Amino acid sequence: MKRKYVDVICLNDQAGNIKPLFLIWEENRKIPIIKIQEICPRASLKVGGSGLRYTCLFEGNRIRHLYYDRGKWFVEMN
Amino acid sequence: MNKVILHCDLNCFYASVEMLYHPEFRNVPMAIAGDPENRHGIILAKNVLAKKCGVKTAEAIFEAKNKCPDLIIRQPDYDSYAYFSKQVKDLYYQYTDKVEPFGPDECWLDISESIKYFGSIKFIVEDLLRRAREEIGLTLSIGVSNNKIWAKLGSDLATENSYFVISKLEDIGRLPAENLLSVGKSTYERLKSYGLYTIGDIAHASSNYLKSILGKNGETLWYFANGYDLSSVKKYDDSGDPIKSIGNSSTTIRDIYDLDDLKIILKVLSDSVASRTKDANLYYKTVHLYLRNKKLEGRAMQKSLKENSDLSSDIYYSALDLFKENHLDFKIPYRSVGVAVSKLSNIKETSNIDLYGNIEYSLKEKSKDIAIDNIRRRFGHYSIGNLRVLEDRELSHFDPKNEHTVYPVSYMKGR
Repeated sequence: MKRKYVDVICLNDQAGNIKPLFLIWEENRKIPIIKIQEICPRASLKVGGSGLRYTCLFEGNRIRHLYYDRGKWFVEMN
Repeated sequence: MNKVILHCDLNCFYASVEMLYHPEFRNVPMAIAGDPENRHGIILAKNVLAKKCGVKTAEAIFEAKNKCPDLIIRQPDYDSYAYFSKQVKDLYYQYTDKVEPFGPDECWLDISESIKYFGSIKFIVEDLLRRAREEIGLTLSIGVSNNKIWAKLGSDLATENSYFVISKLEDIGRLPAENLLSVGKSTYERLKSYGLYTIGDIAHASSNYLKSILGKNGETLWYFANGYDLSSVKKYDDSGDPIKSIGNSSTTIRDIYDLDDLKIILKVLSDSVASRTKDANLYYKTVHLYLRNKKLEGRAMQKSLKENSDLSSDIYYSALDLFKENHLDFKIPYRSVGVAVSKLSNIKETSNIDLYGNIEYSLKEKSKDIAIDNIRRRFGHYSIGNLRVLEDRELSHFDPKNEHTVYPVSYMKGR
């Protein structure tokens, strides 16, 4: 598994929270994030890295972790 | 109620941060070292596999490579270390507000009052270990005791990601005396020559006897060995820690063989330290000089002024005096020089009598310092300099104020 840094479109709300709305995937595809199920600090021991882990629900009931690490987003990729 | 003090130590901190982002380095010997191009090429930290090969902190890269030819060397990333140091401290604050840092990777925590909220010491310690590993990705060793000294010893005895409890002298009595905080190489040799080999030996000797051997330090050691350290863990202060000292050090571009070269380095460092002291609106009373020779042996000296000051010249001349007063020479050339000031205050002390026109001299020196600072702020650090400094541009070409390098505490302690 590898750590892959990705582009993410976010909403910065008035309270200072950051909510990811779309994940930009290969070929500039904008993939909507339907729901954020959990946010917690977590290290990814599989691919290396650490930060706030967003458990995101995508279309087709697919769940994926998005890590927010000092201003950058990454995902764990096979 | 008895106090419960934890000493939390991040295992191989710098190397662990590196391995967190590069899992491929977990299975190979790896060390963090400064830039060999600028002669900062010494080992700052290493992982467990490198340690097994005999790689030691503060040795030169080539020495480490001799012991371990496959050693991977990585450059330090101080921004990341500062970030993770803070993350871990934030975790500690979730258990207690009494958190006292000891370097970037070690902290004492007083959890005496927290136990009633969390249930037990065991719960807090195991929760800290688990959360540091899962949430931040770094492992801790935790020492548990009723005082700070034994807690620190406990964290040294605990293996990675575990804890060690010291509740009575018998737990540590058989350990060599060198394990005790503040016992360095020379103190250990001295203790051994008096037949004091273990921590138990020190604890059972009389404090007066130790005082007669080692002076005031001997008495302190007796307190440490017996766990009679009653100093409390400092409470978290939202306003930030008051500055205790300001210092700069430099590993010079070439070795320093004579007093002229040393003067150049001292001048550049004194200017920087004085400028930073003035920026913080502080005055210093004590000047420290730190020298490290080619054999990487360190020597620290200090001297107090009659009245406090914020002048560059006072630092410079005090540092030179220290060198002369301690009868140091250049038989082994120096590779690293550090200057620091401490006993800081924001009030200027002045003696009542000014027989020798000192005040006039101070004011002149101060306006000179301020003028130089202003010129540097507008036109850059190298736009103005002392003639001595300009004599050797190669040696003096560094700007400690703006290129301030943070050395790991273990390096400055000469461990």
